[in-house]
Amino acid sequence: SSSEHKLNFKKSKEACLSYIQDALLQKQWKRAAEFLTCYVESLEKDYSREHIGPSEMIWRIGTEILWHHSQSSMKEFNCFMEQMKTLGVKRYLKVCLEHVFHLLCDGQIDEAYQNLSLAESWRFGEQTAIQDKEMKLIQAYRGLLDYYSWSKQKNILLEHSEDGFSDLAVEQEMHGYFRKAAVNLKEIIKIPGVWDIFVKCYVDLLEFYGDHNEARQVLNEYAYNSKFPANPNAHVYLYQFLKRQGESKKSLISALKILHDIVPSHELMIDFNTMLQKSKKRKKRRLGLEVIFAALDYAGWKENTKAWSCLAKQVKQIVISEKHLDWIKQEWSSRKDWWPAFHFSRYLAKRNWQENKSLSYEKALVAGILLGKGCKYFKYVSHQGCKAQLKRFRMLKKFVNRHSPVYLRISG
Amino acid sequence: MEFPAALFPSYFGAGPPREEGGPAPVAGWGEHGQVLEGVPGRRQAQPAFVPRRGATGERWEAADAAAVPVLLPSAGCWIPSAKPQDILYRSSLCRKLQAGKTGATLDFARQLGHFFVDHPEDAFGSMGRLLHKNFYLGNSKLKRPARNSTIRMTALVEDIDRLEARRGCPRQHLASRLRWFSHLCRDWLFEVPLGLLADCLHEELMQQWSSLLFDDSLTGGALAWLPPEDEGTPVGCLVHPGGQAMNHLYFQDVVLEELPRTRGSPAQFELSGRIQQVATARVDGQDFVGVRSDYHCGVWRVPGKRGAAPTPLQVIRTDVPASCLTVSPHLPGELSVCTQSGTVYLWSIETGLQQLRHDPQTMFFRDHSPWRWSDFTGHPRVLSCADRTGLQCLDARAPRKCHFDLFKVGEEAGCQQGERVVLPMYLGRAHPSQYLVTTQFSMYVLDERLPLVPVLKWAHMMKAPPLFAHLMPGKPGRSHKVLLGASRTQELLLLQYWDSFWGVSSGGSQLACQLVGTPQKLHSIAGCLQHLPTQLPHRHHLLQQRLAAPAAGLTATLQEDGSHKSMLIFQLSEAGDVFCQRLTHNTAQPPATPLRDEEPCANPQPSPAVPSPAAALQYRCWLRAFSRACREPPRHTWPPSLSQRRLFTRRDLEGPAGPSSLQRQMRQQLRQTMEEGGRIQHREPLALQPPPLPETLEPAGDPDPLSARLTAAWAGDWEQWWEERTSFSVAQRQQALRERRRRQKRARSRRSLSASFTSSLTYQSELSELSDTGLSLLSPSRPPILSQEGSPPAGSPPVHHSATSAAPDEALLSSQSLRCHGIPKERRKTLRDYLSVWAEGPPEPPEPPGSQASQLCIPSSQSQLSSSQTRRKRPRMGF
Repeated sequence: SSSEHKLNFKKSKEACLSYIQDALLQKQWKRAAEFLTCYVESLEKDYSREHIGPSEMIWRIGTEILWHHSQSSMKEFNCFMEQMKTLGVKRYLKVCLEHVFHLLCDGQIDEAYQNLSLAESWRFGEQTAIQDKEMKLIQAYRGLLDYYSWSKQKNILLEHSEDGFSDLAVEQEMHGYFRKAAVNLKEIIKIPGVWDIFVKCYVDLLEFYGDHNEARQVLNEYAYNSKFPANPNAHVYLYQFLKRQGESKKSLISALKILHDIVPSHELMIDFNTMLQKSKKRKKRRLGLEVIFAALDYAGWKENTKAWSCLAKQVKQIVISEKHLDWIKQEWSSRKDWWPAFHFSRYLAKRNWQENKSLSYEKALVAGILLGKGCKYFKYVSHQGCKAQLKRFRMLKKFVNRHSPVYLRISG
Repeated sequence: MEFPAALFPSYFGAGPPREEGGPAPVAGWGEHGQVLEGVPGRRQAQPAFVPRRGATGERWEAADAAAVPVLLPSAGCWIPSAKPQDILYRSSLCRKLQAGKTGATLDFARQLGHFFVDHPEDAFGSMGRLLHKNFYLGNSKLKRPARNSTIRMTALVEDIDRLEARRGCPRQHLASRLRWFSHLCRDWLFEVPLGLLADCLHEELMQQWSSLLFDDSLTGGALAWLPPEDEGTPVGCLVHPGGQAMNHLYFQDVVLEELPRTRGSPAQFELSGRIQQVATARVDGQDFVGVRSDYHCGVWRVPGKRGAAPTPLQVIRTDVPASCLTVSPHLPGELSVCTQSGTVYLWSIETGLQQLRHDPQTMFFRDHSPWRWSDFTGHPRVLSCADRTGLQCLDARAPRKCHFDLFKVGEEAGCQQGERVVLPMYLGRAHPSQYLVTTQFSMYVLDERLPLVPVLKWAHMMKAPPLFAHLMPGKPGRSHKVLLGASRTQELLLLQYWDSFWGVSSGGSQLACQLVGTPQKLHSIAGCLQHLPTQLPHRHHLLQQRLAAPAAGLTATLQEDGSHKSMLIFQLSEAGDVFCQRLTHNTAQPPATPLRDEEPCANPQPSPAVPSPAAALQYRCWLRAFSRACREPPRHTWPPSLSQRRLFTRRDLEGPAGPSSLQRQMRQQLRQTMEEGGRIQHREPLALQPPPLPETLEPAGDPDPLSARLTAAWAGDWEQWWEERTSFSVAQRQQALRERRRRQKRARSRRSLSASFTSSLTYQSELSELSDTGLSLLSPSRPPILSQEGSPPAGSPPVHHSATSAAPDEALLSSQSLRCHGIPKERRKTLRDYLSVWAEGPPEPPEPPGSQASQLCIPSSQSQLSSSQTRRKRPRMGF
């Protein structure tokens, strides 16, 4: 009968849990809270070897309820979290971290900082791999908060220096924050991961103190270490850093080239294209055409007027100069079977004309050159433009008509 | 679309998942995951943080108490798919053996037996025809010349029957005769070699079992909504499968009012297979609808203008079942198809099929599932390919060279052990480079620009893996909504996520993807059962079964009518029912603090408790149509049928020499009753013997009036007994008797064709005849006493029984009398059982059971009666 009792207990536990789950999914926080008070009993005989034990369940459910319950207060929430921290040793750090997150989102930065410091000093036996990771995160977030304090002091100092007097104590404090922040931030960004904010803050600190080599090294490591994920932001940060440092065009281009290789649809490709177009080297201009064509392959760029005007400009240049028509031909050859339907359908002509006239102008120019004057898109837009007596559309028509032999050379 | 300036922090590892997994019932609650500075680039006194999960979302509330049917149930009863009981071995012995073991035992032998019985032509056709003359099924001894080339099979059949009867008996000895026979003919009797057949059957059984555990053929769902081209008109088109085999494709115009209402009759196409998936995409103002069945995929075009008929464009046939069909949102008339052999095709209406990949192996590690999926990405020439282990993107222009991994079940995405991809979906309508991947544990949002690292991850806690997903993109500044749906449990979950600009005020920089609001469970189809009017128990059961049918599809639409926003969610069940529910956007109290979200908690019960009058009306209409469609009771509950071919031989019925006159009379009567297909219990006076007054058969001694009355009441004729008792006029009684006899004669002459009764006739056909006549003659004025136990079935012959008709049966059934009739001991029990069937109440509701008749000679009247209801034949093995 004892086993039966155990079985019944287990069954009623499960039933209770499913009621709670139901209530939570229907946003009935009060009902869920009532069931949870019953479920707490399940802690009494917690022999479960399940993936998630009852104490973790109570923590998760309780937190969710307290987030939403109308009568809950931050004080109660904090109290609950403290209890939960003592409930499961294994999850102490995790619970601390979540508590801190909630405090941060609630704007209680100081309380969050205190909690982080407390959690950092916690020791219990040997740390598991997960606990190690959590501890690193706790330190990193503390470093981040230190950075914000540093940044605050820095702003005060800057204001003061504008006024013409310096405050030694504030400066001391600021340096103190710098040291604390730098130590912790430096640690986490060595581990493979996505550490955008930490890297940004760390680089900001280093740049302020003039340690550009270290900053460059950190950014290079973050962007090019193969153990890290292919994060476009890593390249963006590096590019921005190089730009701030006033680096040569060449190194900027090479940084963006790598970004182009991993994310051809990145918004920096417009900058990249303009940079390349200005270049005197043929190879770079060629790359520029490639870049803008590749960007316009993506559905997200379909209605990007800037990109289309970049393409139109470069295509126009090539057509007028009548040099390098083979570039266009090469780019076009892998696209001619689907770009007409993707970009230059009659439906799109109508819609673009209605929604964005300058977009339709740029697109019509490209369409007229790539597909000839018989192209549906060009015909529709130029017709509408002439009907509306817009000068530039008339010019466009003239231009395409004049250069209609180009189409034959591209498509041939 | 800009890439977020900063992503939420996360660790990145490589290799197989390390976290031990398992279904975690509450894993999705109470976690913010990570935080990020919410308004980057703006210097303030204090940084503002936003969580990865838990920020404020929109409040959507159910407008009705339960889902409401949109379409009336189609005619013809739905046949529920196989249940575990159907293919698992169940016997007490086996259960005992299995106690403690988790593995299920498939009932292989029973299924093989079913195959032989259901498809005798396929199993034994040619041998059966060849040996037809050499097997004899009769009872008489074979004559000398015939014996050289003919075997008498009767004994063998008897042995088989006996074996069947002792099924599950631990002391089961194989009859040596059977063993001898099977040994002799195992190698040549079967059309298909037995080993091969068994292999095939076993494979099929395993497949059935695995599809019972998890059926992935429905992935993607077979329901689609084609919204109107201009958002002003509230008329859209619902594309759904229907018909008994779900092989009809319907395009039904639906007007979105308070409750959606169908308009006009649907455009209908009959297809040659069950529709597993309906996929749609709108390109250049036209809808392309892809339809997948196991071996065929087709594509339709629906012009943007409503009312224009859908046009079928192309159909392809595959040798291996297709597992995926998606329609390109970029180019008109482009689709991608995957088959279970691991092949991915790009299918263009103009240029045909282009094979992109062929790999029967899974991508990242070995997994047995042949399921493959493919979808489009932000680049019209790049397609994603998925199997259970992850997703890869490949360029259709150079599929071998250009590819990258988008998602891997592994440490990269922080997966659990045993986690598998269930449904990938391109979220292009919300964000051109985002992707949704669901597994049985979690949902992930991925960005093509940052492969392998999910930008969003959340444990969805659904009880069954989400096979269906639907995206409703939000306008800029509003959240995108994703619906996840499971098949078996009909679960529906509404999630909201954000990927848009944080706000113009903050400088318009893009923020990383966040899950906002709390997940919300929506009504399932089965949930409306409690709001339907109360039903009779068996109706209730039918209804319950119907409403609990696994979900087969999901679609939804957002409707904006000025400031009033609502969401309509359609759910399709395997039975072909489409139910709908409306959620309304609650903007009454815009949440003041960013984290105290939703629920002012004043109303803990957001959805109304009772359906609105309109919904109630809809329920009633649906119910009426349902009961009309399912008037025919389910076919799987057959009344017990007994074979009587071996019940009596002629010798048995001849009996010993010199039986008493009573015995003779009884025997004759028994035989005659059986010939006529009547009932022994309701023995009528015999026409041949003018004075067979029932009284003579009564037990010796004049019964007291009380016991006579009780006997009459027991037999159900209390009313008549009373009449007889009250009418003193003997002449009157004689007159009544004569009248009855005349009626009986008339009835018999109607049935005289059935006189050519052969020993091979089964009881079943008679029962059917009786029920048939009974149904037509059932008079409404019959007193209710008749329905008591022991009374005849509701459809009894139009003859009033005599008061003591039960008595002779008793006499007949006593073992003594049976022995006197020369009926062997073993068979007495059978006979008693046989007769007791009649003593019992009506066999189930008065359904018209199809008769079983594998005999050479079927009386024409009966065959007419029984041929209308055909039932599966179960003749003896091979003959």
